[in-house]
Order: sequence, then C-alpha cells, then structure tokens
Amino acid sequence: MRKFCTVESCNQCDDPRTCTLNRLGIGCCGQVHSVGGDMDLRRRLLEMGFCNGANVEVIRRAPLGDPIEFRLRGYHLSLRDEQARHVNILPASR
Amino acid sequence: MSSCCEKPETTVVKATLTVALAGNPNSGKTTLFNALTGLRQKVANYPGVTVEKKTGRCKLPSGQWINIIDLPGTYSLISRSPDEQVAMEVLRGLRADTPAPDAVVVVVDASNLQRNLYLVSQLIELGRPMVVALNMMDLAEQRGKPVSAEALSRELGVPVVPVVGHQRKGIEHLKQVIAQAKVAPMPDWPLPDAMKEELMLVGGGLAILHDGPEDHESKDSMPTGNGKGGLLDRYKAIAERLLIGDRAGDLLSLSQKEPVTSLLKSAAGRMGQLGIEPMQADIEAHYRWIEQVGDRALGHVDGPKVPAAPEAEVRSRSWTERIDAICIHKFWGLLIFTAIMATLFVSIFWLAQPVMDGIDGGVSWLGAQVASWLPDGPVRDLVNDGIFAGVGAVVVFVPQIALLFFFLSILEDSGYLARAAFLMDRLLAKVGLHGKSFIPLLSSFACAIPGIMATRTIESRKDRLATIFVAPFMSCSARLPVYTLLIGTFFAAYGPFKQAGIMLALYALGIVAAAGTAWVFKRSMLKGPKPAFILELPTYKMPQASQVARSVFTNTKAFLTKAGTTIFCLSVILWAMMYYPRMPKSHVEQVEQQASLHNQDVDTAIAGEQLRYSVAGRFGHLIEPAIRPLGYDWKMGVGLVGAFAAREVFVSTMGIVYSVGDVEQEATPLEDAMRADHYADGRAVWTPVVALSLLVWFVLAMQCMSTLAVVRRETGGWKWPLVMLVYMNALAYVVSLAVYQVGTRFLHG
Ligand SMILES: Nc1nc2c(ncn2[C@@H]2O[C@H](COP(=O)(O)OP(=O)(O)OP(=O)(O)O)[C@@H](O)[C@H]2O)c(=O)[nH]1
Ligand SMILES: [Mg+2]
Repeated sequence: MRKFCTVESCNQCDDPRTCTLNRLGIGCCGQVHSVGGDMDLRRRLLEMGFCNGANVEVIRRAPLGDPIEFRLRGYHLSLRDEQARHVNILPASR
Repeated sequence: MSSCCEKPETTVVKATLTVALAGNPNSGKTTLFNALTGLRQKVANYPGVTVEKKTGRCKLPSGQWINIIDLPGTYSLISRSPDEQVAMEVLRGLRADTPAPDAVVVVVDASNLQRNLYLVSQLIELGRPMVVALNMMDLAEQRGKPVSAEALSRELGVPVVPVVGHQRKGIEHLKQVIAQAKVAPMPDWPLPDAMKEELMLVGGGLAILHDGPEDHESKDSMPTGNGKGGLLDRYKAIAERLLIGDRAGDLLSLSQKEPVTSLLKSAAGRMGQLGIEPMQADIEAHYRWIEQVGDRALGHVDGPKVPAAPEAEVRSRSWTERIDAICIHKFWGLLIFTAIMATLFVSIFWLAQPVMDGIDGGVSWLGAQVASWLPDGPVRDLVNDGIFAGVGAVVVFVPQIALLFFFLSILEDSGYLARAAFLMDRLLAKVGLHGKSFIPLLSSFACAIPGIMATRTIESRKDRLATIFVAPFMSCSARLPVYTLLIGTFFAAYGPFKQAGIMLALYALGIVAAAGTAWVFKRSMLKGPKPAFILELPTYKMPQASQVARSVFTNTKAFLTKAGTTIFCLSVILWAMMYYPRMPKSHVEQVEQQASLHNQDVDTAIAGEQLRYSVAGRFGHLIEPAIRPLGYDWKMGVGLVGAFAAREVFVSTMGIVYSVGDVEQEATPLEDAMRADHYADGRAVWTPVVALSLLVWFVLAMQCMSTLAVVRRETGGWKWPLVMLVYMNALAYVVSLAVYQVGTRFLHG
C-alpha cells in the first residue's frame, strides 16, 4: 500500500502529535481531535459525524488522487483533500 | 415491537392527516412511500434521487385515508442545497403549498444507525408527533449488527417499526403504528453546563419579549420547537436554534430584531470566553447522546464507554469494500469506468440494430396494408406519407431508448454512480465543476430535464448554475435517432465498430463542449469559491429486476407517448405544409413540358416541383441562404426548424419529405432515398461532410423548448435560458460551419 502520509509517526501511533486527515496514510486509522474551517464546513463535517473522537479510517484515494474515501461511524464517505485538511486527527494503531 | 401499550396521545382528529417521510438521503424513503401509497416514484441507490416533495394517499388499517409526503433526503434540518431546503421547509411547516405535517415518519437506515440518528435528534427538537421506520434491517442483520427496535423505542420514547422496504416487510405494521405517532420527550442533551445556562437565559429572554406587548410578527415567527415540556422548553429550543446559527425562514426576522440580536451576541461572547462554540457544542452533545442511544439499541450493555472502540480490528471486509477494491482501484477503477461507459454507448448502437430493422419492416408493411385500403387522394397520402413515414421513422428507435434506460437504471440501482462521481471529481474540478455534477450530467444522457432537476443536490448556486448550463450538451436520447439515421446512412461503409466510434465521438464532442463551457463560465460569470465536496458512498445493492423493468417501461412509454402525440401532430402539420398548396394545372403542364424537353422523368419532376411549391418548400427556400454555408439544403432547414419542437422531428421530417417527394408505389427505405437525392446540377445533396456538419449541429445546438422551460423554473428567470439558447446555437452554427467548410476543402479539392 502506498503511503501518502507525510507524518512519520502516523503509522507508529505512539506519538500523540496531531496530524490532519488528508495527511493520514491509506489504511491508517485515527480519532477525530477537532474540526476547523469556516462555520459552514465545520458544521457539515460535525454533522456527518466527525466529532467526539470518532474513529476514522482512510480507505483510499481516487485514482486521480483527489477525493479521499473514509470510513466513519460505520459508513463510507469521501472528501476532497481541501476539506480533509480541516479535520485534525490523533493517529491510532491499526 | 413498538411501545404500543401507552395510549396514543396525539392522534389528531382531522379530515385527512398529513404525514411526511423524512430521513437521510438514500435511507429508503421513496421505497417506503411507494410501498405505502402504491405509487411508482423513482428509487435508486445513490443519495439525492428525490429532489422534490411528492404527495400520495395511503389507507390505514382503521380505514382512514392519510396524505403522505415523500421528501428529499437531508442530513440535517439546517439545509444547504435546494433539495434539502424543500425537506426542511415542509417539516417546519414553512411552505405555503403544503400543510405542516401532522406527523413525521423518520426513515432510519439501520445499517448506518449513528449518522441517521443525528437527523432524528433534530426532529425530536422539532416537536412533531413521530414514528421511526427502521429500514434496511436486512443489511443490518447481514452485518451482524441487528438493531433492537424495542430498545430504540424505549430510548426515543416513540414507536419504532423495523421494516425492509424493498421486500415490503413490516409495511402493514408501519401503517398501524402511524396513527400512534407521539411527540418524543426532549432528551437532556449532554451540553456543557455553561451552554445550558445560556440557553436558559436566552430562552427566558425570548419568553419575556414574546409574552410582553402583543406582537403579531414575532408570534408568527416562533412556531417550532418541542412544545411538550412547557413554554420555557419551547423558548429554549428556539434559543438553541438561534445560538447554533440556524437561520431558517421562521427565525430570520426574529434573529435580526434588536433585543434578540444583542441577547445572542452577549451569550455567544460569554461562551466564547469559556472556549465553547455553541454550534460545535450542540452537535457534539447530540452525537454523545446518539452514541449512548445507538449502543443500547445495538444491545451493547451500558458500561464504561471507550469513545473509540477498536471495532476496525475485528471487522471483516464487507461485500461493498471488496467490490470497491476493484471498481475504484487506482488503475482498474478508471479502466472499468471507461469500459462501462463505452459498453453503454456501443451496445446501444448495435444491440438494438436487429430489432430496429424488424420494427422498420413492420411499420412499412403496416403502412402499405393500410394504404391499400384507402382510396387514392389526400387522405391516403396523409396516412402513408405523413403518419407512417413521420411517426414510423421515430418509433423505430424504441429499442435504443429501452436499452439506454436499461443500462442507466442498472447503474443507478447498483450504487456505482456515487463511485463514478468519486472517480470523476478531480476531472470535473479541473473545469470548475464538482463530483456532484456527475450524476446530473449522466442523467442528461437520457434527457436533460431530469438531469437539470438532479442539480438540486448541489449546494453552491454558482456550481449548480454551471452544471445546469452545460447539461444540455450531453447527448440526450432524443438525439439518438438523428445520430443513428445519419451515421447509419452516410457512414454505412465503415462497419459497425467504426460507426459506434463515430457515435462515441459525438458524445465526446458534447462532453468536450460542456467542459470548455464550464471552464469559461466558472472563470467569468460564475466565478466563486471552490465548493466543498462531501459525498456519501452507499453500499452496493443488487439491482432489482422490478426496478429496472419499471424504469425501462415508463421511459419507453413516455417516448412512445411523445411519438403518438407531439410527433404525430407535428407530422400531420408538416405533411400538410409539404402537400399544400397544390400546384395549379397550368403550372403542372409547364413542368411536364420542361421535363420532356430536358428528357427527364416527368413524375419525379412534378413531385419535386410540387414540394418546392408547398408552404414548407417556400419556407425552406426562404431560410436556405442562412444554412447554405453549413452545407444544408432547404429540406434539412425545414427539419431543423421542426426539431425545435422535438429533436426526433428532424427524422420524421426526413421521412415525410422523402416519401411525399417519392413517386414509386413501393416505399423506398429512407436511407436509400436520402442517398439518392441530388441537386439540379447533379451534386449529391447528402455527403458524409454534410452529415457530419449536421451531426455536429445536433450535438451542440439548443433545440429543446421543454429544457428551456425547466431551466427557467430552476434558475428563477429568463436570463439563463436565453443565454443558453443564444450561446449554444451560436456555438453550434460556428462549429458546423467550420466542419463543412474545412471538410469540403479537404475532401473535394
Ligand atoms: N437492502 C435493502 N435495500 C433497500 C431497502 N429499502 C430500500 N432499499 C434500497 O435502497 C436504495 C435507496 O432507496 P430510495 O427509496 O431511493 O431512498 P430515498 O431515501 O428515497 O433516497 P433519496 O431520494 O436519495 O433521499 C434503493 O436502491 C432501494 O432499492 C431495504 O430495506 N433493504
Ligand atoms: Mg427518494
């Protein structure tokens, strides 16, 4: 599996340093730490379930690289890189 | 199953109850609506199928009739896109055209409980009597996570009915329970204490303001909120909505009124100092409550809850994930996408051919039979040359239409379309569109009208406009007959694969034009911030044979109805325009003399001159100078004008022209007649270059009145339809001109 993650600690997960969702490697899991962005985007991400330390797993990137597919609270959804960068993540072990 | 031991408290005694079906997108609302009402609204496996409210009637076991409203899906009562707005407004009772619902049936996807419960939590605050339909129980069980309806009902305090919509399981039970809808008790959201205090303060403030001097305006503007726990609770619910930034129609004026504005500002300020942001705190509290309720409904024992249970580790891969591993794979994904799209168009072209030939033969045979019964004269000519030649030329295309809808509905019902949107988002983003534009654009291959309607799921208005604007460039099914006729006639020597290639190239031309147009407009008139893209990927589902059959049937029927009405009438009118006025005797004799002088076939000469003499002929010659540079003769001109009523009319016009002008008793096939047509100087009227120029015209031109009418409605004015009409036709003219001029230079010297 190719790794898009630029945070070294992402897959090792003993480092509680936060990283953003778009930098999480494919196949990695993390817990939602906080959500940024403007009011509208934040509301939407929160409403879709990116809150309360929910578990997020990165499933894949689209073939052309952009939208990213995630699994969250038992369902799948996709976000563009631009939206995913507003979700701060605590990487966790797989 | 439901808590039916308690007395229904809120059964309103009224002539007809109105019950709204609400729920997340793709949770199965329309499936249930169809099961309850016996209607046949469109169901498909992607979020955003229903974009308008639809009403039907349903008979309850008690014998009472109720009205049921199917709503577009929504994730939240704070709406963002036009379709969500419709759902929100109906549920809040803000629409003049719909009575406020007496009860709400919330459709919850049991296989995706938590996110679906978020809307439930908002609907509890709405305070209408409620029933939960726990749909997709089959999927939840397959996943080994059966939701307990009893437990959920206990948690929510409203009846909960487990159903499996597409198998009609639990529908009777649901009908029984609708009458027992109850206002849910307001949960004690686990909000931060400071926010609870502020809600109390603002709510109290609103209560004082409101109960002060009689103020009708503000009285009207405080209609919603869970009214069960007393007046203060109602005001607290309104305060909550105001604080989290809900600015729906019923709150707008209130939130801008002076004492309220400063009340809100100071409350937000105080919370801000404590690091609390009301909107976020509110959603988090709702989700905390949901996590507890969901756990109990899933039979998890109350225990110390670890927020992130390590469920991912034990999870085995679902079917959907296995299919996705191939279907949206980095390499295979695009290949499969291309293969699917290519198969779609190629098979439409040649799978349908044998059946089309059969129908063609049948129509000619029938026409000949009927004609042999009729006496010579205008009536027989009308039946033969007008109706059979005109309508028949179009009816031939039924197999193609049926195939197109067959493939589309399989794609729609399987769940692949959302994946296609996921795959294509990057490309669409390059021209300023959006993954969510994909489904509207793909639907436009069938017809631009449902495609334009489907843009209602796009949140940003500018993006929506851009998608609407380019949707008519997608080659709709009405263009298919024109493409097939022209390609089949003038590129016959190329063989089926190259012909299919030409067909694909035409579709591609439409796509390229759309992309270019979107690119230009998104950089000029429709410039705007890059919109967010949040798309749910639903689980794959086996396409249901009944669903597919219904889609093929209704759409084929619609096509035939159109052939039997619009195209029939137009064929009669066109025929009359080509038949009358008849030439006077003296004129006929003159032509006869001329013909024998030049050693020509007399009958052919008379028929040709008569056509030229007719209303259509005169009109055609009038406009001929304008279309001459594109390589078209006056007959094509008449067809092009007729095509403004419906594009297929071009084909029926050709059918009529060449059979009115035909002197043989035996009907020549249209293709042969077209190939044989010559100008007076001996040049062929139709050459491949002319056909190509005409095809390009049909790809690019805006010729559909119904589309313009829908664009007017969806954009709320004449500006966009007019821009569209001028832009598309100008583009079509220029490109067709270029094709003809360049084509003739290169191919004829
Ligand atoms: N497995 C399963 N599939 C179902 C069930 N109910 C509906 N479906 C399928 O779920 C998909 C979505 O159904 P719809 O009725 O179109 O959903 P909707 O809520 O109206 O969707 P929108 O109009 O987009 O908001 C379709 O493919 C249905 O066939 C069910 O109980 N079990
Ligand atoms: Mg629907």
